[in-house]
Amino acid sequence: MELFTSLSEASKPFMEKISDVFQSDPTFAVYFTTAARWIFVILAVFILFKSIRSLLEAKNTPETWAFLALPDESHVPLTHWENVIGRAKSADVVVDILTVSRNHGTLCRDEDGNWRYNDLGSKGGSMINGKHVYRSTPVKAGDTISLAGVNCVLVPASLQEKMEELGRRKKRSRKFPPWTLLLSLTIFQILLCLQLIVAEGGDLPITVPLSFAGLTILMWAFCTFLKVMRSTNFEMEVIAFFLCTLNLAVTATAAPNEVSKQLITIILGVVLFFCLCIYLRDLSRTLLIRRILVAASVLLLLVNLAFGTLTYGATNWVSIGGFSFQPSEFVKIAFIFIGSATLDELYEKKNLGLFMLFSLFCLGCLAVMGDFGTAAIFFVTYLVISFLRSGEFSKLILTAGGAFAAGLMVLRFRPYIAERFATWGHAWQYADAGGFQQTRTMSAGASGGLVGYGAGDGWLHNVFASDTDLVFGILCEEWGLIIAVLAVLAIITLGVFAVRSIMGGRSTFYTIAACGATSLFIFQTMLNVFGAVDIFPLTGVTFPFVSNGGSSMLVSWGLLAFLKAADTRQGASIAVRKIEDEEEIEGGTL
Amino acid sequence: MKKLERRALMCLLLAGMLAAGLGLYIGKWLVYGSEWVSYPANKHVFTDGKINTGSIYDRNGQLLLENTESGEPEYSDSYSVRTATLHAVGDIDGNILTGANRAFAGKLVGYNPVTGTYSAGGEGRQIYLTIDADACVTANEALGDHKGAVMVYNYKTGDVLCMTSSPNYDPTDPPRIKEDDTSGVYLNRCTTARIVPGSIFKLVTSAAVIEKKKDLESWTYNCTGKEQFESSEVDRITCPYPHGEVDFEEALAVSCNCGFADLTLSLGIDNIKEYTKKTGLMDSYNINGIHTTPGSFDFPSEDVNIAWTGIGQYHDLVNPCSMMIYAGAIAGGGKAAVPNLIDSIETNSGLPAGINWSRKTDTLIESETASVLSDMMRNNVIKTYGEYNFPDLDICAKSGTAEVGGGNAPNAWFTGFLRDEKNPYAFIVLVENGGSGANAAGSVANKVLQELVNE
Repeated sequence: MELFTSLSEASKPFMEKISDVFQSDPTFAVYFTTAARWIFVILAVFILFKSIRSLLEAKNTPETWAFLALPDESHVPLTHWENVIGRAKSADVVVDILTVSRNHGTLCRDEDGNWRYNDLGSKGGSMINGKHVYRSTPVKAGDTISLAGVNCVLVPASLQEKMEELGRRKKRSRKFPPWTLLLSLTIFQILLCLQLIVAEGGDLPITVPLSFAGLTILMWAFCTFLKVMRSTNFEMEVIAFFLCTLNLAVTATAAPNEVSKQLITIILGVVLFFCLCIYLRDLSRTLLIRRILVAASVLLLLVNLAFGTLTYGATNWVSIGGFSFQPSEFVKIAFIFIGSATLDELYEKKNLGLFMLFSLFCLGCLAVMGDFGTAAIFFVTYLVISFLRSGEFSKLILTAGGAFAAGLMVLRFRPYIAERFATWGHAWQYADAGGFQQTRTMSAGASGGLVGYGAGDGWLHNVFASDTDLVFGILCEEWGLIIAVLAVLAIITLGVFAVRSIMGGRSTFYTIAACGATSLFIFQTMLNVFGAVDIFPLTGVTFPFVSNGGSSMLVSWGLLAFLKAADTRQGASIAVRKIEDEEEIEGGTL
Repeated sequence: MKKLERRALMCLLLAGMLAAGLGLYIGKWLVYGSEWVSYPANKHVFTDGKINTGSIYDRNGQLLLENTESGEPEYSDSYSVRTATLHAVGDIDGNILTGANRAFAGKLVGYNPVTGTYSAGGEGRQIYLTIDADACVTANEALGDHKGAVMVYNYKTGDVLCMTSSPNYDPTDPPRIKEDDTSGVYLNRCTTARIVPGSIFKLVTSAAVIEKKKDLESWTYNCTGKEQFESSEVDRITCPYPHGEVDFEEALAVSCNCGFADLTLSLGIDNIKEYTKKTGLMDSYNINGIHTTPGSFDFPSEDVNIAWTGIGQYHDLVNPCSMMIYAGAIAGGGKAAVPNLIDSIETNSGLPAGINWSRKTDTLIESETASVLSDMMRNNVIKTYGEYNFPDLDICAKSGTAEVGGGNAPNAWFTGFLRDEKNPYAFIVLVENGGSGANAAGSVANKVLQELVNE
């Protein structure tokens, strides 16, 4: 902190000098803003377009972990850690013989290379080396797995095959070094600081440019560090850092004194992201922590219920020793952990039951707090995860229908929420009442056109909750529609990437977690953006990474770790252990 | 694992919804962006709810209003211009919703989707209206102390040359207007009022008669001054005096109520309804974003009320502007241009900033019918209104004297057009409680048209 104070003292004269230059020649300031607005758009398009394109073009080449020799003498590669064997077309290894059940059994591998076979209650039964098996049983290379009399043999991949595949993967996985984009982003940040000085003049706290400098250092340091750790792909990090830059910009306009706090939460978020990435590398310890997380989440929510403070209609804040945070935000990370499951767990009814109970508890707590926006996010995430796990569409419809009925009940008992629904879609008719925030968002947003007024030059930031619930409006007004739309597209891209990562996914745990986390991001963005422009009722949730808010920023980074853990491109992700590191490639064991 | 690939479509669906919603917003933004920025809470272009940029001129470049950064606009130096163009230009507080300063706010601030309302120099746009301020002054002075409306437009190009509504006031010195005010001072009577038309509605009934009445050539009517329907005193149609034996052309020229009652009844209410719709009197026209108030009619089933409906009384209410457009369509052989108030929009440096397309109405009257009716309207002038009252004007017209009840003098109407290639103008004049249509409203029409033609 002292360092920070002395830094601000040292840099103050420098900033005053810049401010004087602009103030002494107002036309120069106008020209600067006029030009800078376009440069911002060009840089943003360059940064996001490159990152988005790389993520969308990513070829998640499957890794081959072993082969299964079938009676017809074919060798089927096992491209995931977790594989279903059966007659069904949707099985990972299709054995098209009538006696074999549609989903006969699973063949799963842990991160140490130990395989286990588990019969899924098949009609014909399973045997390993001639012995009947009923529960998860270890399988070694060369063992014969007999599915209702059909013999299959587990064959390891030879060293040569592995090396060849590694070569193929390395060739196909295009690397994405961050340096050009970081440089562009740095120029963006410097111009942004100058623009804020132009807009705010002497009123801009010195902490604002210092925080931007902090962010610049952070992103360079972090990416260099990851590079040293032999990561090759940085799309998600670049996207997140770009959105964080917008976050600081929005905070600087709406609440300049909170910018340094926001920088601290970004730093903490990056640390959390890194730790989670490392932790997620190991599947078995990841599975173990879930129980602790359930207990912690329950405790956190109960603490919230007991000591929460009522803020604008919802009791979702807890203040401890002058430090306030939103417990429900942190439960989001736990929720993804607890909802995700390995393939074997997918076939255990009990497992889904536990998740349902936990979800119900979370929703109940959020309902009591009156935080219906967050409740809706949890609910949709629950729907997505439970559908990914069970694949039962009818159940999905039933649950959604039940929730709709419950929602109607809520409207009966919580008149202030019913009011929001009354103005929903009619914001202009209630422009100075229930539609106040939405009409301001649209009016200011449209004024910005495609390239905006320039950071700090808007007026929407004077409207209540502009830097959180209405942040899309500030983006449109000060940054223009192009950058606002790009910010949303970045979120959509994460979703598309998560879905595509399934093809090369190792464990269903990671793919479900990635899909769950992005669904949460996407739905939260929907509530935020559509709420602000009157397409949805205004629910007061944050835009991931962009809205001003500590808990929200931390958790956005935390959730990003799940996406990173599903990125199995060769050497791409810090959260995925590389094949080269693994002993089997040298030893040739299974 | 493969199972998940299909199930994960759910996530793509969610992502698709976000993309679709974003697309919806962009669509709305494209369509309504101009309206959104024109909301007075938008501090980029409004100060204290008053627009702070842009200026408005008449077709000859005469300054009507210039907005300033403080939000207090500067009006024309001339008192008579300020009052006569009040409803076309708008008041300081934006109470006149159809005033250009409010209705064209999006254009004044120079909004476009690319740069929004941003401009480096902070200046707005210059809007040149199609109106001629001097003609408006003439119209306003001709109306005198009467409430009323005067509107003239070029039915070929759509340019509105004169648009004046009374009562009006000096916008730089606005009077105190009570909340329960019934004078409609904030209302532009030309575009936003609907008023009992009286005999000018016979132009609609006539169109139906020309097309639907069998043996029209042999039709005559002996007017005794009244036509009794039921036994009661009120159940009758009256004329100011007995017209004697009239044919169709004469019936229109002398505006014989009894004769038109007979024609209306022989056609039936369904035909009247069909032609009222066809002539566009029940439509709302879009004049550069200002929507005119559609007329309103009941189409009754009792004979006496049907008869009154056919002669522009009973519950008939028309909007002056749409009546003028109908007159334009008669002149134009069936179709007329939709009125247009904006001549051009320029940036501060004089570059054009917007294009106006001239639009035509639907066919409001068949061309043969229009030709017959237009000759009859010329006959009205020759036989009844007197050509000497309209020197050098080849004018075709119909007057109206609409009873308003309550012991008040009737409303005077005069509508029609000039048969003049150089000056293809259609017009409507309303003088409320002005008395006889041809006298009170006809003279106003003459003054304004003389000014426009001899300019």
